[in-house]
Amino acid sequence: MALERNGHAPGVRVSLELEQVLSNGSLSWPHVDMSKIDQHDHNRITEDGAEAVALALAHRHRAWRIVRRMQRRERADWLLEDARGNEIALEVSGVDRGNISGRLFEKLKQVAKNADIDQRWASVVGFEEPAVALRSIGGY
Amino acid sequence: METDLLNTLVTEAIWRAEELEALGIRPASSAWEDVSRIEEQLAKALPVSEAQGRIARRGAVDAALKAGDYDRAQALTDGYLADEAAPASLKAALREILEEADQEIASHFQHAAKHHTPREARDLARRFNEAGAFGLAA
Repeated sequence: MALERNGHAPGVRVSLELEQVLSNGSLSWPHVDMSKIDQHDHNRITEDGAEAVALALAHRHRAWRIVRRMQRRERADWLLEDARGNEIALEVSGVDRGNISGRLFEKLKQVAKNADIDQRWASVVGFEEPAVALRSIGGY
Repeated sequence: METDLLNTLVTEAIWRAEELEALGIRPASSAWEDVSRIEEQLAKALPVSEAQGRIARRGAVDAALKAGDYDRAQALTDGYLADEAAPASLKAALREILEEADQEIASHFQHAAKHHTPREARDLARRFNEAGAFGLAA
């Protein structure tokens, strides 16, 4: 819905930035009935859409799996683990319009405050010009 | 209960509580109580030496406060602080969570806060509650 609201269709090209390495990919999803979009909260669409894209990207490119959602105090939305069982704290955010770099910096600063998990990452998804960044706190 | 199942349950419960809170729906407090109970089960299942065990302990206390159940938050904190294996960083974090809640209460009841700390007020309330109506006259 967050992508279709911005005029995109399934199969749209997306710019990927993984630890500052740029590449391209495509995003596909079941077609959405946009006639009911007014029933949804505008910001919720952006945030839920960002979580869906970021978690899919983290699994596709890093083989991370979800352990659990965390409460706000933990400074990260998700606890994930890699194939070796190492834990990862991931903070996710979405940007409906505009560039994602400023938000990525904010979210990296936020997740850096998590004191318990060694691997701390942030992901920001932009929907106007589809773009996803996934970066660790060591990468900024 | 397996931790995978508890993690799935706490994920769903946190999501629900956050959504209810964002919408300003009153029963959000009962949703946070669910979160606290599941976090408590995770805390029992996971040792404090593991990050997930510490996340669950902080989560149980934090969610109890969001549910407005200060007694439960205090009791959980007392139990976790009594654990000799708990690292100093966890103990400090748990105290900080309660202190933040105390400061929030004090800011809402500024006049009362000049005479009693929030903890004293909670202890008084608990004693009255346990003693019942006749306890007030004793």
